[in-house]
Amino acid sequence: MAILELNKVKKSFGTGHKQVDALKETDFLAERGELIAIIGPSGSGKSTFLTIVGGLLSPSTGEVIINKENLSSLNEKKRSKIRLKEIGFILQASNLIPFLTVEKQLKLLDKVKKGNMTKAELEQLYKDLGISDLRDKYPSDLSGGERQRAAIAKALYSNPSIILADEPTASLDSDRAYEVMELLKNETKNKNTTTIVVTHDTRLVGYCDKVYNMTDGILTLKSKE
Amino acid sequence: MFLAWNEIKKNKLRFILITGVLMLVSYLVFFLSGLATGLQDMNRESVDKWNATAIILTAESDKSLYQSSMTLDDAESVKAKEIAVIAQMSAIAGNGDKKKNVTIFGIKEDEFIMPSVTEGNVFSEVGEVIASDALIEEGFKVGDKLQLSSTEETLTIVGFTDDARFNAAPVLYSDLNTFDKVKYGESADVNKNNINGVVIKTDDLKNATENDALEVVETETFIRNLPGYTEQNLTLNFMIYFLFVISAVIVAIFLYVLTVQKISMFGIMKAQGISNVYLSKSVIAQTFILATIGVAIGFVLTLITGTFLPSAVPVSFDFPTMLIYGVVLILVAIAGAVFSVLTIVKIDPLKAIGG
Repeated sequence: MAILELNKVKKSFGTGHKQVDALKETDFLAERGELIAIIGPSGSGKSTFLTIVGGLLSPSTGEVIINKENLSSLNEKKRSKIRLKEIGFILQASNLIPFLTVEKQLKLLDKVKKGNMTKAELEQLYKDLGISDLRDKYPSDLSGGERQRAAIAKALYSNPSIILADEPTASLDSDRAYEVMELLKNETKNKNTTTIVVTHDTRLVGYCDKVYNMTDGILTLKSKE
Repeated sequence: MFLAWNEIKKNKLRFILITGVLMLVSYLVFFLSGLATGLQDMNRESVDKWNATAIILTAESDKSLYQSSMTLDDAESVKAKEIAVIAQMSAIAGNGDKKKNVTIFGIKEDEFIMPSVTEGNVFSEVGEVIASDALIEEGFKVGDKLQLSSTEETLTIVGFTDDARFNAAPVLYSDLNTFDKVKYGESADVNKNNINGVVIKTDDLKNATENDALEVVETETFIRNLPGYTEQNLTLNFMIYFLFVISAVIVAIFLYVLTVQKISMFGIMKAQGISNVYLSKSVIAQTFILATIGVAIGFVLTLITGTFLPSAVPVSFDFPTMLIYGVVLILVAIAGAVFSVLTIVKIDPLKAIGG
């Protein structure tokens, strides 16, 4: 069942002869349980695609449908609610709050949203990510890799329908990068979510069900499961 | 509250600085309010003690007791539930050791403005006075013979009474005979009918007098027209109100700088779907916590300071007023946080996360 659907979505910046089509007319479909990679060089439109899918950027034309809700027709307040309920972000820059410990980063989500992981699920997640001993640490006490794993925990904790990951392994060594991809794959399969990973690291595509290539704003399916 | 409190706990020094500034501002506000109340009391406490509705003065006196001059016959024409005649003069009184500016009230012992005595006795003979207990701290005591600047007459303190200062000077209460002797000397008999005003208690102010030469002045109006009283209050209140504005501006600047430093963090939270309302509430809660702590410490510090002040400093703490000022300080601090809230609302999550 499609959890995410893009119909004739296009994004342009500027007008007239200065107009730049960051994302050319695109149709896209993501099913539950799919781990999808979008690869491409810098400036190819990957981030534009991700921010449109995440409801942070409105498309110039077309519609974005998440879990039967057309994002394009909603105002920012409603889009914000959809983001909180349906989407987990793993950003290139760590999305951790500097004055909260790892555990409290997750508690914050309990304050704003119901239906997050149970205690047992959370313990397993800590274990899977290798951050059980880091729960009382502040982000400033963590290494780059530990911060990224904590950010992944934060994205997964709210049981989102869609996980959007922007270069999730950028600050990790190879072994840890593979572990993280393995974890994302397991989460995707076990919880029947959809994960879209934007990356330029082609070593990771082996974990994905679908791989799309983004070049000059054109999204093309590279290979299939 | 969750975000607010955790941020305060993590960044203690930063928030101690803000709280410290708020504490100093509130300390100053509370102290100025105590000074304003103390100075007001110095001017008005003897009038408040009358618990009167109004005072009748001559129309041409411009509401000044000192400038008003009438006779006991005028007083008899006044219609009120209770009346009390009063004569007033200023003098410098000395007991051979110390000298002090005083106000002398000539009154009748059987009328309602006769003060109760807290130490000693009431006056019973010519030359005896009941003095304000403010003079005790100046070294005056029962039995002291007072030499006055304007007369050869000598007065004897036979008792003290509390809350008895008028226009910042301690009051000496005497009967009218003593007063006339002090004021008029050998011509006291000729002037024995002269008084300055009539203090009244009545429910019918309009009909208190039919004499066009007299004016009924309500007690609060009379107090407001005491020399320097209104000007002094306006000055101190202006300082207090200005401090409210200053505290709002200080909080606004501090929180705005903190908010600007955290734009990226707020942007990420907004990207994750955390609402403007939640983030705004967090900033408001943080301001409330900081302002409440700052105001509470300022309040305690003011009271501690008050206990160490010499009696010459006219400070009197009026707790309901201080409570109101404390609440106002917290509210203006929260008003100062509104700038930060507006900044948060305007943050574009896309820009904040570098999209």
